[in-house]
Amino acid sequence: MSSTTDAAPTSESLAGTPAAPKEKSALGKIFWISIIWIGLVFLLAIVASWIGLDDPNNGNFALINSSPSWSHPFGTDDLGRDILSRVIYGARVSLIVGFGAMAIGMGLGGTLGMIAAYRRGAVDTLVSAASYVMLAFPALVAVIAIVAFWGHDIWKITIIVGIASTPLVYRVVRAATLSYATREFVTAAKAQGATDTRILTRELLPNVLPTIISYFLIGVATVIILEGALAFLGLSVPAPTASWGNMINESRTYLSDNPWLALFPSMAMFLFLIALNLVGDVLRQSFDVQESKL
Amino acid sequence: MAPEPTPLLSVKDLTVDFKKGRQVVQAVAGISFDVYEGETLGLVGESGCGKSTTGRAIVRIEEPTSGEVSVAGTALTGLRRNDLRRARTSIQMIFQDPVSSLNPRRRVKDIVAEPLDIWGTETGDQRVATVREMLEAVGLDPDVAGDRFPREFSGGQCQRISIARALVMKPKVLICDEMVSALDVSVQAQILNLVEDLKAKYGLTLVFIAHDLAVVKNVSDRVAVMYLGRLCEVAPSDDLYALPAHPYTQALLTAVVEPDPEKATAHVTLTGEPPSPINPPSGCRFRTRCPKAQEQCALEVPELREIAPRHQVACHFPTLRP
Amino acid sequence: MSTEQSTTDFPTTEELSGPLLTVKDLRTTFSTPRGDLTAVDGVSLELGRGETLGIVGESGSGKTVLSRSIMGLLPRSKTTQTGSILFEGTEIVGAEDAVLRDIWGAKIAMVFQDPMTSLNPVVRIQRQITESLRLHTSMDKAEAKATAISLLGQVGIPSPAERVRAYPFQLSGGMRQRVTIAIALACSPRLLLADEPTTGLDVTVQAQILDLLSSLQAERHMAVILVTHDLGVVATRTDRIAVMYAGHIVEMASTKRLFASMAMPYTQALLRSTPRISDPSHTRLTAIDGRPPDLINPPTGCAFAPRCTYATDQCRTEAPPLRTAPEDPTHLFACWNPLQTGHAGSVTTSKGEN
Repeated sequence: MSSTTDAAPTSESLAGTPAAPKEKSALGKIFWISIIWIGLVFLLAIVASWIGLDDPNNGNFALINSSPSWSHPFGTDDLGRDILSRVIYGARVSLIVGFGAMAIGMGLGGTLGMIAAYRRGAVDTLVSAASYVMLAFPALVAVIAIVAFWGHDIWKITIIVGIASTPLVYRVVRAATLSYATREFVTAAKAQGATDTRILTRELLPNVLPTIISYFLIGVATVIILEGALAFLGLSVPAPTASWGNMINESRTYLSDNPWLALFPSMAMFLFLIALNLVGDVLRQSFDVQESKL
Repeated sequence: MAPEPTPLLSVKDLTVDFKKGRQVVQAVAGISFDVYEGETLGLVGESGCGKSTTGRAIVRIEEPTSGEVSVAGTALTGLRRNDLRRARTSIQMIFQDPVSSLNPRRRVKDIVAEPLDIWGTETGDQRVATVREMLEAVGLDPDVAGDRFPREFSGGQCQRISIARALVMKPKVLICDEMVSALDVSVQAQILNLVEDLKAKYGLTLVFIAHDLAVVKNVSDRVAVMYLGRLCEVAPSDDLYALPAHPYTQALLTAVVEPDPEKATAHVTLTGEPPSPINPPSGCRFRTRCPKAQEQCALEVPELREIAPRHQVACHFPTLRP
Repeated sequence: MSTEQSTTDFPTTEELSGPLLTVKDLRTTFSTPRGDLTAVDGVSLELGRGETLGIVGESGSGKTVLSRSIMGLLPRSKTTQTGSILFEGTEIVGAEDAVLRDIWGAKIAMVFQDPMTSLNPVVRIQRQITESLRLHTSMDKAEAKATAISLLGQVGIPSPAERVRAYPFQLSGGMRQRVTIAIALACSPRLLLADEPTTGLDVTVQAQILDLLSSLQAERHMAVILVTHDLGVVATRTDRIAVMYAGHIVEMASTKRLFASMAMPYTQALLRSTPRISDPSHTRLTAIDGRPPDLINPPTGCAFAPRCTYATDQCRTEAPPLRTAPEDPTHLFACWNPLQTGHAGSVTTSKGEN
């Protein structure tokens, strides 16, 4: 009696593997709150012009340094500008610089990293060497110097920070890709006649994507802090444009008179960064768990 | 007398060198063999003999340093990129590690359909039908298995999926690189039976690479024995195991363990371990461990000579049949 | 090869007479996210001094967990063990770390499957051997080194005085496995557990290693438990064999008896699905359908019933107990329809127990 049927997975053996459901929902709540918070910030930043906020750049001089009140829920700053409005408009800067710079970094560094890990050889050696050189250079100093030299409007900052983040992203993505590029399913794809592009996009990318996404979010958080650092050196977006970094910087002088100036932008930045980190972390954990089941 | 049929797969003087730092390792040192349509050639040897490298070089996953490989008359070596890609469909490979051979993030039905997608040969309903047919042919229920991910399957089932994927383009030659080495005994038996059945059903020609002598004998029509990058002996399975002519083959066979307590453990005549391929012995590479080695063996590389119908040996002093 | 001067104490006369190892009703359960996994489910066996026991099973049979349980090597967390493992009068189940440390290396030693991972890659061979010696005996550095070199010679490593200073990566697979054997034997243990010691090695090296184990064992009158999936490995080198399936011992008998008159359909199926050199090429293998059961939710009745060609309704509902064959009380098997006898009725059952 010859039979080649190796019973396909029975329903018992594949019965849903609910990975410790209790544990997950505790982490899950924080995860979802963070997602909602991030979404909210995005939403507000986008519709800022249409929700009837006070002008963030021109203030009512009669109301300088006032504490929170009904008409000004976050108070006003030293030029009478509504802080709530400035916080919301300021989010735009953080979002554009944060996500924009990381998008550039991921686009450049990520693509190079994947290609280098897959092709190896001369391409890998050269680009990796270049990345070592760039990494050895103090990024912050370089960014400061270039911004000071070239100019600090929002787009220039985004581009400069984006390029500065490329080497690190390159190394992370390259490492992640390497662990998959050596596996036999990649060799199998090649043996079937798949082009390199196809292998990169259809075999490697789906496997590397989870790592990319979680590092992306953490990278955004880092860039937002970087914007704050630039602001402290007067190198962020020029006044009177609101940005969280600028606001925190300006608030230094008035800390004793008007602590609200420092509080609200700091809180906004803090909460947003925590949310990014949490989401990035949870994503990374959940992808690790899936990975270990493989 | 009918002329010898032309071989489906022909390997001539295949050499594969690896660079280890400044040293050059000759993993495969000029081997030649032919595989005829519908037969299974077993390629057996100890670790480091170059059998896996040979398999990979035939498919050009490793680049041969020199030599010629042709399938159905078309030379694979020397093809340029796009031509090579196209030629790949005629010769497929199955790898040792069943789990790592499958993309963990793709569903089984997509994995099996991948070659069809790459070449656009079948779409829509036809594609679905072919995938179903293949999954059934390897003993998996397409409705249950198709939508699942590789991690939900056992090693044996993953290997079946790999086989389905390899056969979807109806290749002429299938290279099996240690495909059952990572499987349990009972699963191994299932897969070996499956391969025999598929071979009959689809008229496949196989090169079966393994280190387990019993497995190779079970599945092959002819067996080639490799040692340190060179072929020692090529013969029909039953002949090779019954009347081995090369001292290495003879020694190898004494070391096999049989599940039978009445069979006294034969005195293993092979001592020590294979020398490093970086500095192989001159002349016959086996001479350092060979009980019959003489001066000539160090000076002259033995070539494969036919000593009986279809039985070739590369040895200066083979055991000839009475 | 000179006989090693044992530096551990000799067993007392009482200890010499009884069995070396007695396992009674051992049950090892791991708690996993999906539920409790019973890897070893009620295993009992006895091992005398100098005896060789082969434990045969496929992956998931519980053989590795059993060997680690015997040694007391399982992780503490998420593991429950019931039953008893008596080694020379000492209870291993639930033993204190201090007790186990005294036993490990000195009285029970283990050789693992993959020498690449069981040897510390950044420590020289010498230290890996002398570590055990210095811990369990009163040797000083020089004596320990000399013993290490002598051990390497006994396990068949050429130029041991030079090799002793090598790192694992400088040795081949076969050599590394010999080194792990040397480490295991350093303090002349009474029991050696070899867990798949030759899987992954070339057939010629495999034969050499197995011969080495046999000769060392004979020399030192050491008991050996050889855990493997390969029936060929145990056929000529063991006194008794236990076949495991889904956490149970399903058959246990002296080697000759097992191969001559096996009772369990699983044992027979295992044997028939192994390709043999003595068979002609293209012999159809009798493959076992299906897969081993899920140990978290094992089926009722006999664990092998879903895959057994002789299964009856009784097999599917009632798990057969381990009982003795009438002709040979040392032959145990757990089957309602054993081979040879034809049907259950003619075999005396021990249902009278508890």
